[in-house]
Parts: sequence; C-alpha cells; structure tokens
Amino acid sequence: MFEQLLFQGLVGLSLAMYLWLVSAGLTLIFGVLGVLNFAHGSLYMLGAYFGYSAVRVLGVSFWVGLAVAPLLVALVGGFIERFFIRRVYHIDVAYQLLLTFAFILIFADLVKWYWGPIYQSAPVPAGLSGALPILGRPFPVYNLFVMALGPLAALGLWLLLEKTWWGRTVRAAAGDREMAGAIGVNVPQLFTGVFMFGSWLGAVGGALGIPIRTVSPGMAEDYIIQAFAVAVIGGLGNLKGAFIGSVLIGLVNAYGHLYAPVFELAFMYILMAAILILRPQGIFGTSQ
Amino acid sequence: MGKHSRFNRREFLGAMAAAGGGMLAAGLVRPGEIRAAKPSGKPVKIGHQCVLSGVLGGYGQFMQMGATLAAEEINAAGGILGRPLEFEFRDSQVKPAVAVKNARYFVDKYGADFHAGIDSSGVALAVGKIMPQLKKILMVTHGATEKYNEQLVYKEGNKYLFRISVPVYQDGIASAMIAKDFPVKRWANIGPKYEYGYTSWQMFKDTLKKFRPDVEFVEESWAPFGTTDFGPHISKVMAANPEGIFTTEWAGEAVALVKQAKLFGVFGKIKEWVNPMGGAMDVLEGLGKDYPEGLWVSSRYWFLYPPTNINESFVQRFHKRWGRYPHYSSETSYSAYWALKQASELAGSTETEKVIKALEGMTMISPAGRRWFRKEDHQAVYEVPWGRTKADPKYPFRILGDLRAVPAELYYRHPPFDA
Repeated sequence: MFEQLLFQGLVGLSLAMYLWLVSAGLTLIFGVLGVLNFAHGSLYMLGAYFGYSAVRVLGVSFWVGLAVAPLLVALVGGFIERFFIRRVYHIDVAYQLLLTFAFILIFADLVKWYWGPIYQSAPVPAGLSGALPILGRPFPVYNLFVMALGPLAALGLWLLLEKTWWGRTVRAAAGDREMAGAIGVNVPQLFTGVFMFGSWLGAVGGALGIPIRTVSPGMAEDYIIQAFAVAVIGGLGNLKGAFIGSVLIGLVNAYGHLYAPVFELAFMYILMAAILILRPQGIFGTSQ
Repeated sequence: MGKHSRFNRREFLGAMAAAGGGMLAAGLVRPGEIRAAKPSGKPVKIGHQCVLSGVLGGYGQFMQMGATLAAEEINAAGGILGRPLEFEFRDSQVKPAVAVKNARYFVDKYGADFHAGIDSSGVALAVGKIMPQLKKILMVTHGATEKYNEQLVYKEGNKYLFRISVPVYQDGIASAMIAKDFPVKRWANIGPKYEYGYTSWQMFKDTLKKFRPDVEFVEESWAPFGTTDFGPHISKVMAANPEGIFTTEWAGEAVALVKQAKLFGVFGKIKEWVNPMGGAMDVLEGLGKDYPEGLWVSSRYWFLYPPTNINESFVQRFHKRWGRYPHYSSETSYSAYWALKQASELAGSTETEKVIKALEGMTMISPAGRRWFRKEDHQAVYEVPWGRTKADPKYPFRILGDLRAVPAELYYRHPPFDA
C-alpha cells in the first residue's frame, strides 16, 4: 500500500516536471514582459511538429530534433514579438489577450493545412524505451529523464537570471523598463531575446513529448490551460511559484486518480480556486 | 472463416435478388466499374456532418474521403435515379448544439434529401431526436451508442434513424466472446470517462461473467476526453496485478496509451490486452512498429476483411484516389451513400417515407461485407473480425492475424432489448 503511494507519487512528479518545462517559458515571459501569452500553447505545438518532422520526414534522431526544433521555434517567437507583440505592450491587457489568442487560431489552421488534420506520432527513441525496477515495479526511463530535466532546467534558469549579466539586465528591465532604458539597456532588443528564450522553452516541452504523446492541431489548447493554472497557482510571473505549482498539479492529478476518480476533471480547478481564495496573488506572487 | 468468405458475382446477384426482389439494373452496378449515362436533372443532396476540427479532426477527413469516392463513383454510374448526387460537409465540433444547427441548416437551407455522418453518441442522440421534425433520414456512420437503435428507434418509434456502422455491441459484447477463451481471470479496465467507455466495459463484464463465472474485475481507471498522460491510470491499474486489460480508448488516446503502457512494462506483465478500437487504421498507422504484437484488437471495418473481390477492389480504388488505406469511417461513409442510392432506386423515389420502407430489411453488399438493415431498430447488421496485432513485411504498420469473427447474430442484442 505504502509502495503504491510512493510509486503513484513518482508518476505524479514526472507529470509535474513535464508541466513545469512547458509552463516555465510562459511564466518567464509574463514575469518580464508583462504579456499573458496565449500563443505559448502554439509555440509548444510547433516544437512538437518540428520535432516530429525532423524524425519522420528528415529521418534524423529524436535527439537532433529535440536540439533543432526549439531553435526554429525561437525564431518564430522572435518574429511574433518583433512585429506584433511589441505593438501592444502599452495598451490594455485585453488587446494582448486578443492578439495572442488570434495566434492560437492562426497556428492551428496553418498546422492543419501543412501537416493535415490527422494526428501524428513519432517512435520512442531507443535510449528512452526501457524501464528500471523501482519499488519492485517497472518505471519508464523516459519519465526518469523528464524528472531529471525539470530540476536541471530550474537550476539553469536560476543561474541565468541571477548570475549572469544578461539575467541582471533582464531583471532590471522587468522591474522598471524606463529606468533600464535610461541607463542604456536596449529594452526592445532584450524583450525580443526574452520572448525567444521563452518560446524556446515551450518548444523544448513540445519536442520532448512526441515519443509518448500524439501531435495534433488541437494540442495547443491542451497544455495552455494547464500552464495557466500553474502560473496562477504559483503566482503570475514567478518561476519558483511555477515550479511549485507544477509539482502540486502533478501530485494532485496522480493521487486524485487513485482516491477520488469521480472528481478527476475538477482537481486542477479546485486547487486553483482554493489558492485564489486563500492567497489571490498565488503562492509566491506579491500583492500589488 | 468459412461462411464469411468470398462472395462471387453470382452469389452477389443472388443475395441482391433474394433481398430486394426485382431490382433495377442501376442498383446492381458494381462500384466504379460501369460508365453509365451522365446523370441529369435536380440533384439528390446529402448533408453530412462530422468532426473536422480539434484533436479528432482527422476523423472527419476520413469520412470525407469515403463520401467523395462514393459520390464520384455513383455519379459515374448514372447517379441516383438518373439524377446527380451532391453532398456538403459541415463540422459538428462534437457538440450536440452545433450538430442540431447543422442538421437544420442542411434541411432548411441546403435542401438535403438525406442526412449522414456523426461521430459521437451524444451528438447522434441529439440530432436523432429532431429528425422527426425535419422529416429526413439520418444515416449514422460512426456514433455507436445502443440507445440510438434500441431506445430511439425501437422503443420510441423514431423511424427516421438508421445506422450503417456497428453499435457498441462490437466493443462490449463481441470482445467478451473473444476474451472468454483466454486463460485470464483478473481483468482491469482503462477507459474513456464518458458514456461509450462506461457502456462498453459494462457490456464486457456482463457478457464475460455469463461465460466465465470465475473471472474477477479487479480495477478500473477512467481517463477524461483529451488525456495525454496515462501514467497515473497505468500505475493505478497495474497495482492491482491484472492478467488482462480491456480498454476502449481510441484515436490519438489509444496511441498514447499503448506507447506509455509499453514504457511502463505493461505488456511484459499481463497476458492479454483487448482494445475494440485498436484495429482502426489511424491507430495502426499512428503506432506503426511501436505497436506490440499479439494484442487483441478490432475496429468497425478493417481493410483486409472480408477478403472479397468487392472489398479488395474498393481498397485499391481508395488507395489510388487518396494514397492511403481506408479507415473504418471512410468505409461506413462510402457504404452509406451506396445504401441511400440502392434504397432510393428500390423505392423509385427519394421521398423520405418511401426510402424508409425500402431501407427496412434491405440487404446490401458493401466492402465490409453483407449488411442488412434490421427492420425493428434500423441497425445495419454485419460483423467485423477480431485479430492479434502482427507484423507484415507488406505494410509499414501492424495488421491483424489469427482472425476471429463472431457471427453478428450472436453478438448483436436483439429486439425487444429487455435482457
């Protein structure tokens, strides 16, 4: 019984780390640019489609796809920020939502037009196809890999933002973009960079998922809702919060299936509602 | 496969004659073979709706492929009653409210003579209920709920509703008739968290228990529509040490479930895996060589069965037209159009009342084999085989081996549907 509890918890943690990888970019972009980027779901989807095409059409390995696809998506993200999102920083947030939501629809149709409406899938790479015995039961190497990648990404982000010059200018611009501009930081360029980096993160999640998930035009909406829940629970724009929020959602999902399967669909929302009632700014959010 | 094997042309004609009596020559035209006079006059219109967007958007495209091929062949063969066949597709978005609007549009604005399509049970029931107002025939080509034929048609007398695809009996009853011979005592379920999943598991349990009082049902886990991570479900079910797993996950969710179950070492631990939708072309292609061999799967039509000339030729023409093998939704849509042609020509008219009379009890020879429309509940009766997934050098995906077909008469529920 206790072993079952631990095993289910491990499964939940692997869900959590995947969710964290997908939502980190969204949180970063909101934290720095102040834009709630619905299109993040589309960038996640593009990461998956580019990764899929690399494997299935070009015939390269999953790892090459995982390395290259997110870079291409970062370019797409840079294009979107430079020519569209940059124009709405100063106006009402409703316009930002409309604009980024429009991208969801546009990308869904583009993807349907180019790759077709039928879902696609890619084979599991040999190195990730096995299982290791944990608590006497086979546990997928793939899930272990994702569980290792999550904290690594968190550490990398922390080092990048806290210990590098670039990170310091990003934090300065996030705190006060006019002051940062006045002391010589090229804020527009910096923002494009942050947006590209956030897009890259989302696409890494997408490309990472293709061996065990299907790739389809509807997948953008699947994860964007969960990623938003993560952001709200953790405190909008707070990366530490997003990490904790992901862990909470992953565990609540895994244990929910076990103990309260009837309410499964509601778990995430119940958690979100509870946090909003008890701590409206999110776990690590600061009240304004 | 004995009695299910090839129909030759003579038997084909014989079956048609026995079923329909004096049939018009046009009704006997083998699809795609004979060029007849160019159809003329007022077109016969079919309004077709299905899911064309979102994660299941591909299913609508499968229907469009079958419908388009049927219409091209029917028009090349002289149309319906000498009139050209036209059709229009609309997206149901798998939402009952949208689907009801579509149905009204088809009848009020488009001027449809017939209505066809529909993927989900909920949508089939919602649209089915308004057909008596619209006074047009609805020929369902996918949605499988038994409430459609048992409740709406048989018990409530809604005569406008027909279904050419298999009902959930295929998923829940035929599966148990296959599984009863397995050396499996402990069964578990990972199923879709809606009507279809619940009904098929219930039917599976009820049927299996009749044949095998010794079996136990040890665990179940329900995954909501759109689930991408089956880890928690797999972990929960495997903790109960099942020997057999039954699942009615379908489309992309079936693909994700099998891939993830494989990573969790499920196929090395259990004896049998049974998925009534696991033989659908999209799942076979989606999993490719990642599909473990030896799993028991079925579908609503499988492209290599029955091994008749009619089916082989259909698969060839379909492949030539679209560059892929027909999905079950393609075959059911294709056959729906030919069924409406045959019934209209038997009736000598496209008037709803007359075509209903013609369809009741009508037999047709289709790629999926001989189908007949049961008079009492308007359900097409035909069987789809079960088989074990196996590799075949001719195809880049798994095909079905060790084929087993339970005769339709045995696994279909029969009026008065009380038991």
